[in-house]
Amino acid sequence: MRTKLRLVGVRRGVLLAIGLAGLWAALDLGLDPRDVWPAGGGLKLLGKFLHGAVAPAATYEADFVPDDAESLLVKAGRAALRTLLFAVTAASLSVVIGLGLGFLASTAWWADDPVGAVNVGTRLFRRTVRPAVYVVTRIIIALARSTHELLWAVLFLSAMGLTNLAAVTAIVIPYSGTLAKVFSEMIDEAPRDAAIALRAVGASPMQVYLFGLLPQAIGDLSAYAIYRFECALRSSAVLGFFGSIPTLGYYMRLSFDNTYYHETWTYLYALLALVVATDWWSGALRKRILR
Amino acid sequence: MTDREVQVRRLWQQRPRSTFARVSALLAVLLTLAAWLSSGIDLSDITEPRRVQNIKRFLGEIQPYPNQKNGFHIDATMSWAARLLSEHGLEASRTTLGIAIAAIVLAGAGGLLFIMPSARTVATPEPFGLCGSQTRWRARWAWRLIVMGTRAMLIFARGIPEYIWAYLFVAMLGLGPWPAVLALALHNFGILGKLGSEVVENVPSTVPAAIFGLGSTRSQVAIVSLFPYALPRFLLYFSYRWETCLRDATVLGLLGIATLGRLIMDARAHDRYDEMVFFMLMGAVLVLVGEVITGLARGIVRRSS
Repeated sequence: MRTKLRLVGVRRGVLLAIGLAGLWAALDLGLDPRDVWPAGGGLKLLGKFLHGAVAPAATYEADFVPDDAESLLVKAGRAALRTLLFAVTAASLSVVIGLGLGFLASTAWWADDPVGAVNVGTRLFRRTVRPAVYVVTRIIIALARSTHELLWAVLFLSAMGLTNLAAVTAIVIPYSGTLAKVFSEMIDEAPRDAAIALRAVGASPMQVYLFGLLPQAIGDLSAYAIYRFECALRSSAVLGFFGSIPTLGYYMRLSFDNTYYHETWTYLYALLALVVATDWWSGALRKRILR
Repeated sequence: MTDREVQVRRLWQQRPRSTFARVSALLAVLLTLAAWLSSGIDLSDITEPRRVQNIKRFLGEIQPYPNQKNGFHIDATMSWAARLLSEHGLEASRTTLGIAIAAIVLAGAGGLLFIMPSARTVATPEPFGLCGSQTRWRARWAWRLIVMGTRAMLIFARGIPEYIWAYLFVAMLGLGPWPAVLALALHNFGILGKLGSEVVENVPSTVPAAIFGLGSTRSQVAIVSLFPYALPRFLLYFSYRWETCLRDATVLGLLGIATLGRLIMDARAHDRYDEMVFFMLMGAVLVLVGEVITGLARGIVRRSS
């Protein structure tokens, strides 16, 4: 077999295409590298803001603070806890829904079935209902994933006002979609030898799925679920920033708009602490499980 | 007990166990319960009559304006949609696409630069486990500092949500494409840097070790053996993040930057919910088109490697 000799191979072609696309984008948007550096008032703000990075506040910056107000650190801690709990709520529901949808959207447990159907009814069921369910699930997942959680939140805000339930649902919808998609891809790409062996011995498709396919993919899936949880932390903060729930983002925006930049950094560091802790936990878990 | 049962029991007893994993799982379950019990979420919220009325009213209001008055006519709907598209919709979509592409290309380039200093297999005095001459603790700690510093920078870049970065940059640079591009580039730089360093750490060390053993420098080893191996995976993550950037670029418009998000915000501010939903759907279409393109690119790369 002769390999084609090309001037630009596939890899170089892809990289070239990406570079050209970036160039087009920069020119179309009118991006000027000189505009990156802030001027005048922006520069002063940058300076003040960076100053807050090295000296995050431990007490309120405002001139007037009511006597019975809780200390800043306690408030930041409470907000962090609220962010954490909100993210846990959203992520837990997304994982459950994502597992279910991912199961329906994967083909590994029913496509190319070597064992023939026992009767006409089963054969008909397998030929029509299963592919239909697969296609419908894929469409639902694509629709759920296509809108950012903030836009779902805006939609719910306009439709029925933003309650806690609406805020959680706004995060759950795109997250379940993403988890379902990634989960179905993991199941489909996991090694299938165990599944084939089980099927040859006569296990039902459900048993093949639970004992042949799922255990192979569970390591990767747990890692991705923890990563999704980290994203949920950030999304909870951003929903608060947008103004709907009293998480860390809410206080960040409040303090930033009042130019209390040191306080903003306190809240930023709290969020970073949550993210770093989750990252560390994920790494530690992966080391133990993948031993 | 038969022989087989004894074997099965022995296998069961020898399964890999981890106290850490068990405690983590238990804590996760407890935390989930605590979160749900304290969330104050009341399912009866949805069925409250006033809320149901609001939802019904909203569903009526998101129909295109001409249809609200005169019932469903296809040409009125088409001309309404065409007007929205031509006035701002297409331009905003183009800006959204441009911001997403510019941001991800910047993030990818930056991420590639910092993959090597943050990969533990490369950034040590003994890459790939090869023992050079006796390494002093100074060399070891210098490399450790480099790794920790790079990782800290990457975590900082990705720990702060892109929406917050964008808010900061808008405050400093005013409205324009740069705040969005910088915010998305910074956030994704952190993510791509971390994912890329994991890919490099998982490269099987035979070939790089051989090249290093021949006397090459770390950068030579990287260019010749690590980058070619890691590129398909890195491109995969790159394409995933591009899809996310498309979504985020739409949403950053909520801050006032001229993408679809700004049109959504404007429409909502004027109580024009039909236009708001229209622009949301446009954003969704953009993301779906991006997914199709990504699928194609991934297929091409997979077939070539």
